[in-house]
Amino acid sequence: MNRRLNKRVFPANTLFSDILGRAADWSILLFLMAALTVFIFYPLFCLSLKSILIDGRLTLQEYENLFAKNAVPLKHSLFTASLSAVFSTILGILVAMKLSVSRGKRKLFYRAILLMTMVSPPFISSLFYIQLFGRRGWITWRLLGLSINPYNKWGIIAMQSIHFTSLNALFMTGIMEKLDHRIIHAARDLGASSTAAFFQIIVPMLKPAMWGCLILSFVRSLSDFGTPAVIGGRYSTLASEIYMQLIGYAKTEKAAAMNMLLFIPAVLAFISYRFLMKQSDRMLASENGRTGGEFPIRFKGILNLFMNLGVWLFYGMMLLQYFCIFITGFLKSRKGVYSFSLEHVEKIAEFHKSSILRSVEYSFFVAIFGTLFGLLLSYYLERRKVAGKWGWDFLASLPYLLPGTCFGLGYIMAFNRGLLKLTGTAAIIVLNMAFKQLPAITKIGSASLAQIHRRLEDAARDLGAGRLSVIRDVILPNLKTAFVTGFIYNFASSMTTAGAVLFLISARHKVAVYTLFDAINSGEYGVASLISSIIIVITIAVSGGVSLLFAERDEKGSGRKRKQIGGKERVHVSGNQ
Amino acid sequence: MIFSKIVIESSVDCVDHSGTYNAGINTFLWRIIVKKRLLAGMMGIGLAASLMLSGCGNSGNAETETTKAAETTTAATTAAAAETTQAETTKAETTKAEEVSSEPLKVIATSENYVKLFDIFTEEKGIDVELLSMSSGEVLSKVKAEGGTPMADLWFGGGIDAFMSAKEDGLLEQVNFDAAADLAPEYKDADNYWFSKGLTVVGFLVNNDILEEKSLEAPKSWDDLTNPAYKGEILMSNPAISGTNYAVVNALLQAKGEEEGWKYFEALNENVDYFSKRGKDPSEKCVAGEVAVGITYIDNSILKLEEEQNVTVIYPEDGIPFVPEGVAVFKNGSNAEGAKKFIEWLYSSDENLKTLAEIDGKDTVKAVKPNLQGVTLTFDTSTMMEEDLSLFGSKRDDILEKWDAMAGAKAEQ
Repeated sequence: MNRRLNKRVFPANTLFSDILGRAADWSILLFLMAALTVFIFYPLFCLSLKSILIDGRLTLQEYENLFAKNAVPLKHSLFTASLSAVFSTILGILVAMKLSVSRGKRKLFYRAILLMTMVSPPFISSLFYIQLFGRRGWITWRLLGLSINPYNKWGIIAMQSIHFTSLNALFMTGIMEKLDHRIIHAARDLGASSTAAFFQIIVPMLKPAMWGCLILSFVRSLSDFGTPAVIGGRYSTLASEIYMQLIGYAKTEKAAAMNMLLFIPAVLAFISYRFLMKQSDRMLASENGRTGGEFPIRFKGILNLFMNLGVWLFYGMMLLQYFCIFITGFLKSRKGVYSFSLEHVEKIAEFHKSSILRSVEYSFFVAIFGTLFGLLLSYYLERRKVAGKWGWDFLASLPYLLPGTCFGLGYIMAFNRGLLKLTGTAAIIVLNMAFKQLPAITKIGSASLAQIHRRLEDAARDLGAGRLSVIRDVILPNLKTAFVTGFIYNFASSMTTAGAVLFLISARHKVAVYTLFDAINSGEYGVASLISSIIIVITIAVSGGVSLLFAERDEKGSGRKRKQIGGKERVHVSGNQ
Repeated sequence: MIFSKIVIESSVDCVDHSGTYNAGINTFLWRIIVKKRLLAGMMGIGLAASLMLSGCGNSGNAETETTKAAETTTAATTAAAAETTQAETTKAETTKAEEVSSEPLKVIATSENYVKLFDIFTEEKGIDVELLSMSSGEVLSKVKAEGGTPMADLWFGGGIDAFMSAKEDGLLEQVNFDAAADLAPEYKDADNYWFSKGLTVVGFLVNNDILEEKSLEAPKSWDDLTNPAYKGEILMSNPAISGTNYAVVNALLQAKGEEEGWKYFEALNENVDYFSKRGKDPSEKCVAGEVAVGITYIDNSILKLEEEQNVTVIYPEDGIPFVPEGVAVFKNGSNAEGAKKFIEWLYSSDENLKTLAEIDGKDTVKAVKPNLQGVTLTFDTSTMMEEDLSLFGSKRDDILEKWDAMAGAKAEQ
């Protein structure tokens, strides 16, 4: 990579190429902004317009008593979201602790399972929760002889907590391994017990990450409609009520207005997230911290007990769930007796093969172009002086805050006529997926950019590189790992996210996750399980493949210059420039 | 060279990268003070403004137009529309639709199983068919949002209330054909905007194991269901989601009268833990043993459960509610002509209707077309409840609102 840098960083510095470079630079920027406006702002604008423009008249009728009418579901949403966020963050930390102190094969095992749980097809987990813990659940009833009614808020909270833990644990693991070990060693040398070191040194250092997990899980729970719809019973949250208004009452206006209501806590959460980040910024491990290698403390006593309990709870549930998903695809039940059957396999081979292949195709598309777009966007927002940066950044975060169904509905309203008629095409599905997942990609991009020192860019510019050369030769090569992460995230999400697809789908462009939804709705759990298993296997295979591919290339490209310093990506620039 | 001092360690491992996500949160902070670059800002605002004016503002207008057009059923209203450009585009779209009849017929159906029927249609008429299965509530929301440019041409199956509502919103196309005269007038729209492909009848599915365990008798009638002994053992779908259960509510209200009817449902509400959000839930949960009684549609797939599982199907003694399953053509579909051809093809041939009855696993299509040869109704139509279907659509909003207030009040726990 450095060889390439040396070669290309000195282009013929003619006036012509400079003008050309500037023009290209501006057109990229304009393209990014235009895309954000058209594919995020415009659909959401149409959706909100729908709530005030009824039968062609401007009216606020949907907003009258909106708050009073929806106070109960709103309260429920906030309650479940808060608890799910707290539980999933605690569980995430416990799992991350376990991962940090484990070594060798055991660590590999924990990691592998954790990565698998990142690929979680929608709805199916809730169904298995009922199958396992329902009133006639395999575990609660057949094994323990209990008859528990799981259709309530605790069902929702339990499901969401377990489900959100995967992502939180991944975040926390990354942070834990970044901790400056010297501080912990110092505390231990000064006589702190491992428990004291944990609570007085590690926990404060983890604070920003904890807040991050809490708030991200909170928002995620707010916009989750599937879990409450399947196991909430009478307990309805705002997201599930919106879903009901849409598919039950076909009241798009009301649903759009309720969306605005959901928007408030989500935006507040995001703003407070940023505020808190600022506060606890200093807690992060320093750039030159010594990390990697053996984790400096072992957890003891009660802490150890808690850690193991949490880890076993999480891994137990997850293994059980995935085991059930895999096995149910090959089972057939008759009068309560299960037997092995290939019936579902045949059905999938006959009917659903094309939709699965199509899903893979679309996901690749989103993974490649969506990720490049997101990384480019994060570069321009982070490093260039863009007018209204705050606004653009906020706009790019919006899709994360809203339920997928509403984002999909906005797309239908926005792109059903004229020049931008996209309804019924593959493009609308791919675009929706890409922009729905954009917030995560830009954040991955920003995080990686934070590690490419600004001085590196300046140096390249000083040496005569144009703006485009800087992007091409300095930024993009350094974002390679961010690209891989983004690619995997985009691919997995495109394969598994259901919300918007339910509305954007058309017969010619049916995707696997829709077939899954359809199979569940017609009660074909066997088929649904098998489709889920296939989705999981494909996603893991592709993620693994892409990681390996890029890992190898990287090895070849700059093998000699690499120096092993720890377990993560890091760029150090020496100070004597 | 400074570049040789750059050390890049990049292990390609997902866990670590996600970690970097949070490490970079400081970079993710709001920056409030930004050097203004007017041009970029102006561009953004300009773009947004032009989009607002051109795009979805139109879809609002277009919708009112379609509604108006539906009321008068003439094209004159379109011409009368204030915005001439708008009228032009609509016109252009209609002519386009007429020209391109070679494109496939896009069908939204309640099940993929109908593929067999459409295959025969393709073979005989040379029109390719693309089938997508979707529940009627989703279809209605989607078509409403599409603002007059539907993604599909033919709507095949689903509770009639959704079809009635779609007709009212001007989303359906009139289909006139000779064989329509042979169809029973009570199961089709008077102005030929929708037809029925059969009837969904509603009954109970009971799980014998659970009944035995709780030493309960199987319920025989609707009135039995309010017996406190069944508390927590009955599952019914939310009538807003399930056309089948909307039929139950509407039919019982008609049979018992408004006042008595609502009293009945209040009592039933006491026995039902929650109303599920999926139409398939009651039968599935009953089979799984989650509840003893599920209020469900009855067709061959449910009857087959009697053989496969320890469950029994019960037709309530005090009357079987039913709901016609609609068939209609969407207005402005890209192949509306093909959809019309299909409807004519289906109802003009007894063979085709028989194929349909076979796929559906029921013979209620005989009720829809009484002179149909070779199909006999296997159950006594006199056990069906008397329903005034015209009240199905017109009262839907009122009934559901009242329902929501009643069932919703219990939600607050």
